[in-house]
Amino acid sequence: MEEEIRIEDFLKTAKQRAFEVDFFKGADEYERWEDVDFDGEYEIDRTFTVEVEDIKAYSEGIVDDNALFNDEAAAEAGPYGGLVGHPLFLTPIAFWLTGDSGPGSWVRTPGAINPGQKIEFYEHIRPGDTIRARSRFHDKWIKRGKRYLTYLTEYTNQRDELVAKWWATLILPTSRSDEVHQF
Amino acid sequence: MAEVTFDSVQLDTQLPEIVREVDQRVITRNAAASLDYNPIHVKPAWAKQVDLLGEGTTIAHGMCTFSFMTSVVTDWCAPSGGFVSGLESRFIRPVRPGDTITCKGVIREKHPRQAGKSFVVVELSAESQRGQVVATATARVVLR
Repeated sequence: MEEEIRIEDFLKTAKQRAFEVDFFKGADEYERWEDVDFDGEYEIDRTFTVEVEDIKAYSEGIVDDNALFNDEAAAEAGPYGGLVGHPLFLTPIAFWLTGDSGPGSWVRTPGAINPGQKIEFYEHIRPGDTIRARSRFHDKWIKRGKRYLTYLTEYTNQRDELVAKWWATLILPTSRSDEVHQF
Repeated sequence: MAEVTFDSVQLDTQLPEIVREVDQRVITRNAAASLDYNPIHVKPAWAKQVDLLGEGTTIAHGMCTFSFMTSVVTDWCAPSGGFVSGLESRFIRPVRPGDTITCKGVIREKHPRQAGKSFVVVELSAESQRGQVVATATARVVLR
């Protein structure tokens, strides 16, 4: 018999416990590929204030035991002068800032497929940082019958320093429905 | 470990590999870590029902494979203060529970710049236990 894996068993941080884990909930309201606003640019209201537990939980989740991403004392003595996030620690930040509805909610579309990503990094992300984001339409296209969508999001910290730019692309299904789900 | 500097690195040097075994626990833990609970990753029954990519299983997050590949670079350069300034990935085949992924990196380009801005480009790949490339990526790394 297949072992049941409960998401709840892996929720460690305050943000993980507060985040809506059911991507079907409200899915009918997610933005759709066909509804994208080409001129759309929006400042995301939510912020992500980085806690030590956020950085460590991400490192654990990607099975990375590098001391610079996990051990405050070792990181303090290391080349970055303190704990920093793994580069792709930007992933939970992106999902947190998007939230569960509104602009950018297409990233939660059940069955969306990730074809590849492009990210530029400008600053480390450290405990105590407060990350904000501004996002805008970049491209959408059809290739071999699949519908691709790309948004460019710029992430800044509390000093208004550019932290990262992420060209986030997904292949979106033609239906958000649980029952009719086709590319 | 020897200090990694722009002057010291050689083109075509292979970086130490990373091997990761992927099962549903690894995938679900990654979902919690990344806040990406797309049911194609965490709902086996739904994945079986919709059968998006054949075989009717969940698939690992592309970002999970991407993180494994990126760790090849950070394991190598971070202790010397290297900074990953760019990443670009392409996910080619799904990674499923039961897969073992081997991630490799090779230094392919050196870009001299003024002090503190010189960078190298590392080509990354992730292969399954069947010898199939499941993902590729490039990483731009600023070295001291």
